[in-house]
Formats: sequence, structure tokens, C-alpha cells
Amino acid sequence: MKCLIIGNGAAGINAAAAIREKNKHAGITIISDEGIEVYGRPLISYYLSGKVSYEQIFYKGKDFYNEQKIHLDLNTHIAQINLKEKIAVSTDGKTFPYDKLLLATGSVPFIAPTKNLTNQKNVFTFLTFDQADKIKHAVKPNSKVVIVGGGLIGLKAAEALHGKVGSITVVDLADRILASILDKSAANLIEKFISKKGINFILGKSVGEVYGDENVQKVILSDGQVLDCDILIIAIGVRPNVELAKNAGLEVKRAIVVNEKMQTSDPDVYAAGDCVQTRELLSNEEKILAIMPNATAQGQTAGFNMAGEDIALNPSTSMNAISFFGLQLICAGLTGGQEDNLFVDENEYKLRRLNIADDTLKGFVLINDIARAGIYTDLIKNQTKLSELEYDLKQQDIGLNVYNKKERHDKLWEINQ
Amino acid sequence: MKKVYPLEDKCLGCGLCEVYCRTAHSKSKDIVKAHKRETTFSAITIEEVLTPKTIKYFALSCRHCTDPKCIMACISGAMFKDKDGIVKNDKNRCIGCLSCLLVCPFGAIKKGADGKAVSKCDLCIELEEPACVANCPNEALKLENVK
Repeated sequence: MKCLIIGNGAAGINAAAAIREKNKHAGITIISDEGIEVYGRPLISYYLSGKVSYEQIFYKGKDFYNEQKIHLDLNTHIAQINLKEKIAVSTDGKTFPYDKLLLATGSVPFIAPTKNLTNQKNVFTFLTFDQADKIKHAVKPNSKVVIVGGGLIGLKAAEALHGKVGSITVVDLADRILASILDKSAANLIEKFISKKGINFILGKSVGEVYGDENVQKVILSDGQVLDCDILIIAIGVRPNVELAKNAGLEVKRAIVVNEKMQTSDPDVYAAGDCVQTRELLSNEEKILAIMPNATAQGQTAGFNMAGEDIALNPSTSMNAISFFGLQLICAGLTGGQEDNLFVDENEYKLRRLNIADDTLKGFVLINDIARAGIYTDLIKNQTKLSELEYDLKQQDIGLNVYNKKERHDKLWEINQ
Repeated sequence: MKKVYPLEDKCLGCGLCEVYCRTAHSKSKDIVKAHKRETTFSAITIEEVLTPKTIKYFALSCRHCTDPKCIMACISGAMFKDKDGIVKNDKNRCIGCLSCLLVCPFGAIKKGADGKAVSKCDLCIELEEPACVANCPNEALKLENVK
């Protein structure tokens, strides 16, 4: 059996490992348009800051591909897939026949239409090692850096460049940073903390135009404000990389449509990671959950099924663990909306907010007070009835003692789990 | 595989498991030096159970799950399962993002004192018996092969 995997990120690599776990003899080829072996994608900000060396970014050991007998084709762009003939063709004409195909093509940066932005040399995105490396070599101690987008990617870029450049300004159209994952109180607390480190924020505005030939020199905001700029980083967001799937004729809505087994509309073609939409636990709707834990789980599920198993993906939800200048944020589920069940200690930059509805936990946000957060996550995943727990979540820190003695014992001793 | 299991009814909450875990994972292996001069964290924690009349305790450490959520969530590839089924954290590769803590349903993962890597039970593979089990004065920790 020939398994072909397009994409060498978390989804692709975990799919390959899962196939190998179940089938010792299957041929496995991974194709990557990048130039290096699989790395922890979120680590590019640590590489940029210097906290992590080049050697430390790799997600698997050096011998992984050899040990697992996985053939890796780097710097290879697939131009098209022929579903009928079961062949993928690269831009340089190489053909890759398959019995089972996995699309793990991830996401691509979203760049909003901006006047005069094309062909500027000092404009970067921040999603791949290559992009991080380019920024690393482009910045100078006096660089004026403008980052468009105050989400996770933009803020991690800002943190990474802190202390290495002249100034950093983050511009976001939303009224707060981290708007896609945080409510206002949590976002404001983090913004206050990061501002104190010397990062400038301009919120509620977008970049409409840039000035400069070959290199951006000035950035013009939606209200006419002008910012000097030597390095422009676009980090507005990502969109699923679905071109190949679409052109091949696979069903694509906002992202590639898959069933519980991660199968696309063609039963021999699977898809996993940022490029797919899957059932979200709390809304029961198909959503793009472009985060690492979901990419690994989806990749693994796809891999097992490609190897002939019959395994369904567990529905998941949004979740993030990230720190900014040492301020630790952990959140999951539905975090926006109502401001009840909120505990804030502004001086210590601590925050805890529980989103409780219908006697269940729908989401939580924790800042600098994160102990045992995984128990909250588990309560969300299982949609546990809060009235059946040993105490009121709002009154006490979370711990395994939230379950009664028998349940706690059964969990710890793995009885009926 | 053999794992450390807590016996809630026997636990006195004395904290000796924490002390000996910390010592066993220190550089000096000296009980005083480990606590006074080193930043090693204990990978086992005494958890309190408050009931209306009494306080009870149990000692919590990594469950070395069959299907570890922490490994799936790890963004750097630092968390892995070794050939014996022990879930380990490679400190050189861990960047302390705490994605593992976000998903551990037991609340068994903590941030290390170095602010970087998370401390995690390794079952004291180099010792005959895990330090916490060997030094529990009331046999409230058992090394057992349950499954």
C-alpha cells in the first residue's frame, strides 16, 4: 500500500507515525514545500527571539524518518492531484502515485488588500521557519517594526523582537488584542502588561496603504495616522490552504469537508489539520480549529484509518496555552461574551473567568493562575453536570477533589475509564 | 506497566513523598542541598480534600496514560512516551508553553521552578523503587501493575 502525505507539519507527521504503528510495510511518502524536517511550528517565535536554537526547533528526533521508514521529499510543491488516476503531480513534473492520500496542507497567511503592498521587500508573514529566519536576518537594532494583527501570531512576533529593535507597534482592527480567543477584561489585562514592556498598541484601526518603492517606509492607517516603518509583519490571521483540494474537485466549504474518519468526499483521500473543518464540541457545528492539539489528533485519526482501522475523531474545541513576557494565559472553549464569574487581581495580573451555562462549563480563561487547568478542560469536554460535583467551581480552586471519592479513585486507578 | 497509585485512606498528607521526589531528582541527591540550593520541583503533590468534618489527602503524580493528551498537545515534541510506556518530558526541548497542563485531566502537570520546563514523574527509572513509594511512612503509595 502506498500512502502519500502532502504536508510535513503536526497533522502530516502524526498521520505518518499512526500509519506506521498499524502497518509495518506500507510505503509512506511525505511531501513538503518547506526546506527542513518537521519542526514545532509555534517554536518559530522562540527561534526568532533566540530562546530556542535551530537544533531545538525540530519536533521529532533526527532519525525519525529513517526509523519509521518514511520517505521525505522537501522543497516539493504539488501542483495538482488527479483523483481518478490516484496521482499527485509536482510543479517540476514529478508524479507521486498513491493508494491513500492525506492532505495536511495547513493554513496560509491572510493578507488584506492594501494599497501599494505588492513587491515590497521588507514585508513579512510569520507562519513558517523560513519566514522567521528572514525576519531574523532583516531586523536591525534601530528597526521600526509595525505588526499588523494583535492575535497570537502577531503578539508572539512582538515578544520575540522585543529588545532587538528600535520600536514595535501592533495595529489591530478589533477593539482589543487576542480578539478571537479572549473577552475584553482578559484582553485588556494582557494588553496592559505587554504595553508596560514597551510595545505600542493601536487598536480599532487597520492599515489601508503603505508608502515606499521596493521597501515600505511608512504605513498609513485607516484614520490617516502615519507610522514610520522599516519592517512590516502581516499577522492578521490565517486561512485554510485548500487550493489543491478545491482544484481536484473535493468538497470544500470554508475548509476541506471530512467525516469522523477524516475522509474527504473521495474515500481514498483524507485530510487533517488546519485545512479541514471538523465538528466543534460545544456548538456541534463544523469549524476550523486551527490549533496544534487538534492537528495532531486529526492527523493520528486519519493515519489509523488510512491503515485500515475504523476510528472516529473525538469532537474538540478551541484551546490555547501561551505566555507573553512570562504572563501565562490558558483558555479553552467559549471564552467571549458575558463577564460573570470573573475574578481579577489587577496588581498581580491574575484573572480567572468561568463561562458557565446550563449547569455545564462552556469555557474558561486563566491568567497567571493556571494550576490544574486541564481539569476544567476535561469538564468542558465531558460537559459534566456541575451540580453533581463536590463543590461550586466559583467558590474554590479546581482540583481532583471536585469529583466524589469513588469517581476520583476510579479516575486515578483507571477503573472503567 | 507498573505505575504509582495513591491510597487516599492511608495518606497522612505528611509531604515526605514530595521531599524525597525532589531529592531524587536533584543534582546533589542530598536532602538538604536539594531543598536549599536547587530549584528542582517535586513531581508528586499532596492534594487536599476538604470535607465538612475533616481534611483528607492523596498524593498525585503523572498517570502515564495509555493515550496521553499531553503528548498530543505538546507544541515542541518534548513530551513523549518511551519504549516502557513512561511519559517523559525532554527538558532541553520543552519551552514551558504549558499546553500539556491545559489538557491533563488529572491536573498532574506543573510548571517547574525554572519557569521553563514542566516537572513530571518519571517513575524513578534508575532506582529500584520510586522515591515517593519507598519513603511513604504509611504505605499510601503503591507501585502496581493494574492493567
